[in-house]
Amino acid sequence: MKKISRRSIVAAILSVAMVIGIAMFVYNYVNDGAAWASFPSNQHIYTNGVIASQRILDRNGVVLYKTSKGKPAYNENKTIRKATLHAVGDTSGNISTSAMHVFTDQLIQYDLLNGVYYHHDNGSDIYLTLDANVCAAALNALDGRSGTVGVYNYKTGQILCMVSAPTFDPKTPPNLSEDNNGAYINRFLSSAYTPGSIFKLVTSAAAIDNMPDLFSRTFTCKGSEKIGNSTVTCLKAHGTFNFKTALADSCNVTYANLATELGRGVLEEYAEKAGFNKGVTVSGISTATGNFGLSGASKSDIAWSGVGQYTDLANPCTYMTYVGAIANGGIPVYPQFLSKVTSENSAASSSYKKNVGSRILSKSTADTLADLMHNNVIQSYGKRNFPGLDLCAKTGTAEVGGGKKPNAWFTGFIRSEEYPLAFIVIVENGGSGIEVAAPVANTVLQAAVKALKASD
Amino acid sequence: MQFLEMMLKAIQQIGSAIPEWIVLLVSSSGSVTTVLRWVMPVLAFFILLQTARSMLVWKKEPEIWAYIDLPNGARLPISHWENTIGRSPSSDIVLNYPTVSRSHAVLVRADDGSWTITDVGSKGGIVVNKRPVEGKSPVYPGDIISLAGVEIALLPIEVEQEQQEDDESSLRKPGKPGRVLFLVTLFQLLTAMQLCTFASEENKTTIIMAFAGLAAFMWLYFIFMRALQRTGFEVETIAFFLTTLGFSVVASAAPGELGKMFFVTIMAVLIFVLLGWFLRDLERAKKARWFMGGAALMLLAANLLLGKIVYGAQNWIYIGAFSFQPSELVKIAFIYAGTATLDRLLAKRNLTMFILFSGACIGTLALLGDFGTASIFFVAFVVIAFMRSGDLATISLICAGTGFAGMLAVRFKPYIAKRFSAWGHVWAYASTTGYQQTRTLMYAASGGLLGLGAGNGLLKHISAADTDLVFGILCEEWGLIVAIIAVCSLVCLAIFTVRCASVGRSSFYVIAACASMSMLLFQTALNVFGSIDFLPLTGVTFPFVSNGGSSMLASWGLLAFVKAADTRKNASFAIKRPKEEIQ
Repeated sequence: MKKISRRSIVAAILSVAMVIGIAMFVYNYVNDGAAWASFPSNQHIYTNGVIASQRILDRNGVVLYKTSKGKPAYNENKTIRKATLHAVGDTSGNISTSAMHVFTDQLIQYDLLNGVYYHHDNGSDIYLTLDANVCAAALNALDGRSGTVGVYNYKTGQILCMVSAPTFDPKTPPNLSEDNNGAYINRFLSSAYTPGSIFKLVTSAAAIDNMPDLFSRTFTCKGSEKIGNSTVTCLKAHGTFNFKTALADSCNVTYANLATELGRGVLEEYAEKAGFNKGVTVSGISTATGNFGLSGASKSDIAWSGVGQYTDLANPCTYMTYVGAIANGGIPVYPQFLSKVTSENSAASSSYKKNVGSRILSKSTADTLADLMHNNVIQSYGKRNFPGLDLCAKTGTAEVGGGKKPNAWFTGFIRSEEYPLAFIVIVENGGSGIEVAAPVANTVLQAAVKALKASD
Repeated sequence: MQFLEMMLKAIQQIGSAIPEWIVLLVSSSGSVTTVLRWVMPVLAFFILLQTARSMLVWKKEPEIWAYIDLPNGARLPISHWENTIGRSPSSDIVLNYPTVSRSHAVLVRADDGSWTITDVGSKGGIVVNKRPVEGKSPVYPGDIISLAGVEIALLPIEVEQEQQEDDESSLRKPGKPGRVLFLVTLFQLLTAMQLCTFASEENKTTIIMAFAGLAAFMWLYFIFMRALQRTGFEVETIAFFLTTLGFSVVASAAPGELGKMFFVTIMAVLIFVLLGWFLRDLERAKKARWFMGGAALMLLAANLLLGKIVYGAQNWIYIGAFSFQPSELVKIAFIYAGTATLDRLLAKRNLTMFILFSGACIGTLALLGDFGTASIFFVAFVVIAFMRSGDLATISLICAGTGFAGMLAVRFKPYIAKRFSAWGHVWAYASTTGYQQTRTLMYAASGGLLGLGAGNGLLKHISAADTDLVFGILCEEWGLIVAIIAVCSLVCLAIFTVRCASVGRSSFYVIAACASMSMLLFQTALNVFGSIDFLPLTGVTFPFVSNGGSSMLASWGLLAFVKAADTRKNASFAIKRPKEEIQ
């Protein structure tokens, strides 16, 4: 009997398996419950696949999308529709980082405890932090070229402008079979590009912290220099100058030498701080990760990585957050585009909460970088090109190879208590950063400041 | 009887409050649900907690049936009805002498208190009072048994000792059941009230009558068992609790079938009681094994000849207005035919007959296209085979062989695989083969932790939801908490069975209880995990909860085996009380 009694353990094993299975289900339930409940066949919520009543609005209450009695409608202005497409979403659900896709909990008024018990047919209003007019201005400034523009308040994290091109009019969506050049992708959140010279802000931070004599050094550029087994070139021979001018002139030779001197470990540490390889989380959405890695890199590879080439890749939103952290004295405030939800059901309502990260640069390093970036504008980019803006910035012209024109970058921030805005602009295959991306940035920033002034 | 008075008082109080409830119910259906969706999980939790505590914390104190005097002078208590004697350390009576075989003999106590020793293929043989034993021989108290020259003596327990034991063994008693049953009654009444807030006018009466009838029947059962001086009700409490959830599912999804469900439940409890009563006499129970085996095969054969195909499986028989699933009833017969007493197991050390029998049952089910039930039988087979033989090698071989046969079946009958094609990625087939699973997940999530209120779901409108997707209905209407409590209550039953096994009297009861519990548990797993896409959706029922008469009968029937293994003092009606045994 002893033996047989012991063998009853099989029933206990089955019990354990049962409990493990249920635990796994609970785990999935907690993680995916909202997504399951928001499946458009759920007749607690949807009528013919559409939520009976809901609205998505911009920060000023401009209706970007709404459904009433189960019929969807977008904003009347075509440019606004196209400019806010990636933030709002399309009715077919192809844009996976859009409000319609990501804020389903709020849209269907779901919460874990109650399920959809409190779902109200009167629906909820989802306010985004975006300004529809600034987004429209950004789309116009891109003027049909591919790329992305992001502007956010580096003190609160609210994204004012998030535009990705190419885009389409959600009122007349294109055929799925057509080649849309990636129109479904929000480039701001979900892409990664070679950063080129904007990466020098990362190399600079490493140099400021690790080279005590940095500002007393002089550097010489003869237009090219052989480092390791590769030659690093500049557009012209920059001559002899100090560190400040090296950044203002964006001298590849100098930065390549700084990178090899700093070495693999230090560069990787500062790239990690800037969010490369990790990305950031924007209102619950994980951005694409960039890339920075020097394992197995030769001396020339390290040199090229220090000027934002080699295998470096930057996600626009993540890099904008890094620049925002420089503006904010070294502490990143993570960007978000969901402002608040109002609903008859108070359980589904929410208000904006800012998401502050931990310090990534010391205050003095951040301020030094800010001064250097301010000098860039004065010394190289021309203050008159940005009228009325106390701008700190860095250009980038990232080689993409394949005989294509380089990607034009421009990133930076306004030093202002009233308009604390950081931004990033990429124009794909646009050419030079200062010639192509900077004017786009100026147009958008002027519109943003105007919009903030108007709403005050 | 104090608690009975308490109960009566409580019932009176509830009775006087009912008119107020009805007013509340008519006036604002929304607020009733808003309150009850918080109350029901709490109530369910306490029902499970009380029952589980009573089932899982009793002290496992072995019963003592006799003593053995060993050659070294030690006196060993005999705590089972069936005891192996041998040199092996896993024997119940270990005789570590070189002449004794590893597994030498089995000493068995019969219902009437007489003892028998059976030689199970020893080398040295057995001599009782100097008479050599061929096969088996009765042993009387005071007899000297010589196993290959090693002498032991069987001594009876003395009467005073028996008395004394009675007093000490209070710890083996179950806890007070009345309070939990009161909670279950409250649960039933509140469920009826909740259901009425969403039911149409003509169904309200049916619902109230069905739940009131269930509560009344439960108390009738309880009072009847109290009259028989039984004290253990945890197993039934869980079954009645789950049955209540089942009633709620039927009331929500198919209120017209509630009356049928009520009568089937009464029948099911009767089967439970009759089978339990039949099992209390081991000699009688043993004799029925062959009959049960034959009945199982006959039922399946009838199914094969007369069965109608419903949802891809030919597992229904229609006789006039009645329809039933023979395979459900075969479950009881299968367990019955599979179990055996220890002397029998050790005397005939092979599984051949049982393997052939199981192969016939499982093969027929596979032919019928009922793969879910076939796999349930296969698990029961594996459990029984393991408990009988402990022979992992043979069982692994059989599992591998069955797996291979399954692969061949899929290879040559691709339509079988097609039925399960959505498994693991149902969302990609949300409108075709993954339709039921995606709806289950979608509506399960809609319920949240607290549920939308019984009767307020939408999953019930999906075909076969009240049987195959019943876990989803529980999640949606009752909330995740209650759905998990329902599953956990079965897990508690299983753990209780394992605990009972260690102080079991006969391997006949222990094997039957473990196998039937494993069957119930695995069936629950197939139902739950099939509907949420952890396992392929095979369309088996959730014991006690799914809408279906045959399933209800089988679930209660299988429970009788668990009841027959509950050896706590005076707990189970399926075990004779000491006084009854003396006669």
